[in-house]
Amino acid sequence: MLFNSVEYLIFLPTIFVLYWVVAKFNNLKVQNALVLMASYVFYGLWDWRFLFLILASTIVDYVMGLAIHREQKQHKSGRLFLWCSIVFNVSLLGFFKYYNFFVGSFVDMIDLFGYSIQSTWTLNIILPVGISFYTFQTMSYSLDIYYKRIKPTKSLLNFATFVAFFPQLVAGPIERASNLLGQMTRKRTFKYEQIVEGLKLILWGLFKKMVIADGIAPMVDDIFAHYDAFSASTLVLGVTLFSFQVYGDFSGYSDIAIGTAKLFGIELMSNFRFPNFSRNVAEYWQRWHTSLSTWFRHYLYIPLGGSRVGKLKSIRNICIVFLVSGFWHGANWTFIFWGAFHALAYIPVFLMGRNTIYKNTVVAQNTFLPSFKEIGQLFATFSIVTFSRIFFRSESLNDSFIFIQRLFTDFRWEPYIHPMGYRLVDYFVLLGLFVIYEFLIRKDERNPFKFKSRFVRFWAYTLVIFSILLFYDDGIDRSFIYFQF
Amino acid sequence: MILVVLELLVRVFHLYPEDSPRYIDDFGVEKRVPHYKGYTVTGNRRQNFTEYRINNQGFNSYREFTPGYSKKELALIGDSFIQGFHQNYFNSIGKKIEDRTTDIEVYEYGYAGWDLADQLHLVHAYPDDFDKIDKIVIYVKYPMDFHRTDYEANISRIATLNSTIFKVRDNIKLVYYASEIGFLDPIKNILIGNQDAQEKPKHEKADQNGQHEKDSIYISNFEKLLKKYPIDRSKTSLLLDKRHTSQAFLANCTQKGIDVIDFGMWFEKSNRPVTLIYDKHWNNHGRSLVAQSIVGHLQLK
Repeated sequence: MLFNSVEYLIFLPTIFVLYWVVAKFNNLKVQNALVLMASYVFYGLWDWRFLFLILASTIVDYVMGLAIHREQKQHKSGRLFLWCSIVFNVSLLGFFKYYNFFVGSFVDMIDLFGYSIQSTWTLNIILPVGISFYTFQTMSYSLDIYYKRIKPTKSLLNFATFVAFFPQLVAGPIERASNLLGQMTRKRTFKYEQIVEGLKLILWGLFKKMVIADGIAPMVDDIFAHYDAFSASTLVLGVTLFSFQVYGDFSGYSDIAIGTAKLFGIELMSNFRFPNFSRNVAEYWQRWHTSLSTWFRHYLYIPLGGSRVGKLKSIRNICIVFLVSGFWHGANWTFIFWGAFHALAYIPVFLMGRNTIYKNTVVAQNTFLPSFKEIGQLFATFSIVTFSRIFFRSESLNDSFIFIQRLFTDFRWEPYIHPMGYRLVDYFVLLGLFVIYEFLIRKDERNPFKFKSRFVRFWAYTLVIFSILLFYDDGIDRSFIYFQF
Repeated sequence: MILVVLELLVRVFHLYPEDSPRYIDDFGVEKRVPHYKGYTVTGNRRQNFTEYRINNQGFNSYREFTPGYSKKELALIGDSFIQGFHQNYFNSIGKKIEDRTTDIEVYEYGYAGWDLADQLHLVHAYPDDFDKIDKIVIYVKYPMDFHRTDYEANISRIATLNSTIFKVRDNIKLVYYASEIGFLDPIKNILIGNQDAQEKPKHEKADQNGQHEKDSIYISNFEKLLKKYPIDRSKTSLLLDKRHTSQAFLANCTQKGIDVIDFGMWFEKSNRPVTLIYDKHWNNHGRSLVAQSIVGHLQLK
C-alpha cells in the first residue's frame, strides 16, 4: 500500500479511529495488537508471502536479544547469539538482495581472466520491499543489547510492533529500539497538538512527493533513458532535476512516515534536515538519510575505531562505511562507485578537520540571508552531491561513464523539450519557490508550517494543496524510489 | 476556509471546463442546447484553453447550418474530435476546410461519444437537410464505433447529467476541476467499481477468438446499420485512420463502393505532434492535417 494512494486514505483514518477508541480502555496490549495487525495488512497488501520474512526476522532477534541478555547476566559476552542475529539478517539480505549480484560479478570476473562460464545459478528473486530497512532495525536491537545500551523486551507483541510499525516499515526511518521500542511499551495519550503536527508533516510530505518528485520524474526518466542523444546542457539539467526528485521522493516519504507515527502518539527520528543547504559533504551526511548514516556510525564506524584511531585507519574506516552504505542501496556496482565517490569527497573535509564544524548550526544561522561564502559553499556541495547522482541513477557503470564523458565533451547549449510537451517554466518556477520555502523553514524540519502569523500559515496550507492539484498527474507511476532498496 | 479559497483560485484562474447542457430533440438526436458559449479547459494548468459556441442547431460551430440547393455544403459528422471542444470554435476543422476551398460551407455535426449508429441516425433524422448537403464525411474509429447494430437514444446519460449529484459537481468548480484532472478517479473506482476492469474480460474473450472473428462481427454490425440507415454512396465518405483500421473492413468498404478518406498517412508524415498535451484529441496541427486530407481527397475526386 502506498502512502499516496486512495487505499491509504481509507486505511489510515480507520486505524486512527480504532486506535484511539481502544486507547480509551487503557489496554496497551490491544492497542499494540491493532497496530501490529494494521502493519501486517499494510505490508501484506503488497505481497503477503514476504510477511513470513518479517516474522522470521522478528522471532530470531527477539530470541537472540533475550539470549544475549541471559548470557551477559551470567557474565558471558553473548557474542555467539549476536553473531546468530547478524548472520541471519545479513543472510536474508544476501539472498534476496545480493545473490544475483554476486553470481553475476563472479561470472564477469572469470570472464576477465579469459575464461567463459555460462551462469545457470542466477535465480528469479523478487526483492521484498523494505527488507534493507527492517533487517537493519532488528539487527540494531541485538547490537544495542550486546553493547548494553538497552535491555531486551519480554513482550513479543511489543517487539513485533516495533519491527513492523507500518509508517516506517518499508522505507524507514530506520529506528533504534531505544527510541521506538520504549514508546511501544508506554501508554500513549491523545495529544491534539501532536496530531496536528502529524497532519502538517503528512501534507508537506505529500507535496514533496506528488508535486516535486512526481512532477519532474518524466523529465528525469526521459533524459537518463536517452542520455546518449542529449548534449551536456540537457544532461546537467537531468541530473540536477534527479537530485531534487530523489530528495522530494525520499524526504517526502519520511515526512509522511513521521507524520503518520505522530497520529498514533509515536515520535520517530528525523531522517532529513534540509540536506540541500549543506556547506560541505560532511554536513550533507549529517542531514541526508540520517537514520541510516547514524546507523552506520553507531554500528560500523565507531566499532571499527571511528576517528579515534590514526589518520590512515580513520580514512580506512570512512571508506568502509561509504562503500558499505553504497552497497546497502543496491546490488549494483553503480552504488558502490557512488559510495566511493562520497568517500573521496568526504576524506579531504575530514583531513582538514571540518567534518563536524557545522554539526549544530544551519546556513545563515543568525541572519536572514546566507553570506556570499555560504552561497558558494552550498553551490559547491550541491554540485558534488548532484554529480554523484549520475552513478546513483544510471542503470550500469558503463552508462555512468558515458554520461560523464558526454558531460565534459559535448558541452553545447540546446533547448530541452518536455517529453509530454509541458511548459518547462512551470517546473523551474516550482523548484525555485520550493528552494526558497525550504530555506525559510530550514531551522525546523519537523514543522514545515511554523509561521507565527495564522494568515501566513493559512496561505501556506492553501498554496501547498493548490500546487498538489496543479501538478497531480494520474498517468504516472507513483511508487517511491527507495522502495527498491 | 481552505476549500473556499481553493474554489476561488480555481475560478479566478479558470481551471475548470464549462460544460454546455445537452438534450434529446424531437427527432431523437442527442445534442447540445442551442445558444450556449463557454470555455473548455484541458490539463491541470490550463494546458489547453478554448472557446466554444453552440449554434441554433445545437452543434459547436462558428456558423449556422442553412443547407440549400443553390450552394455547396459539406457535412462533417463525428464524435468529440469533430465536436471540437478542444479548439477555438472559429479555428475548427470545418473552418480550415473552408479556408482551403472556395464557396463551400462546412457543417460540423459533432457530439462527444457518438458512434456510427448515432451518426447514421442523424443523417436519417434530418432528411431535408442532408438531401441538400452535397457531401457527407463521417469520421469513424475502428472498431470502437462498430459495436452497435441499432440506434437508441441515450436517455439515461442525459438523466445522469441532469441529476443532482452532477449539478452539484458542475457548480462546485473545485470538484469539477479535481474530477477532470483524474484526482477523484481512485475514489470513483472504489465507489462505483472500475468499469474498464469489468469490461476487460469481454475484450480478452474476444482476443482469444482472433482478429478474423472480431472483424466479421464489426463488419456485420456495419452492414446491419447500413441496411437500417442506407447511405447515399455518391456523396458519402468515411474519414478514418487506415493505420488503425482493419484490412478486412477496408476491403469491405471497397467492395461496397464506399469512399474512404485516410488522414493517417498525413499524420505519419508529420514530424510534429498531432495531438494535444494531456489529451488524445488533435491539436491545431493535427486538425490542419485532417482538413488537408479531406480537401485533398475531395479535389482529387
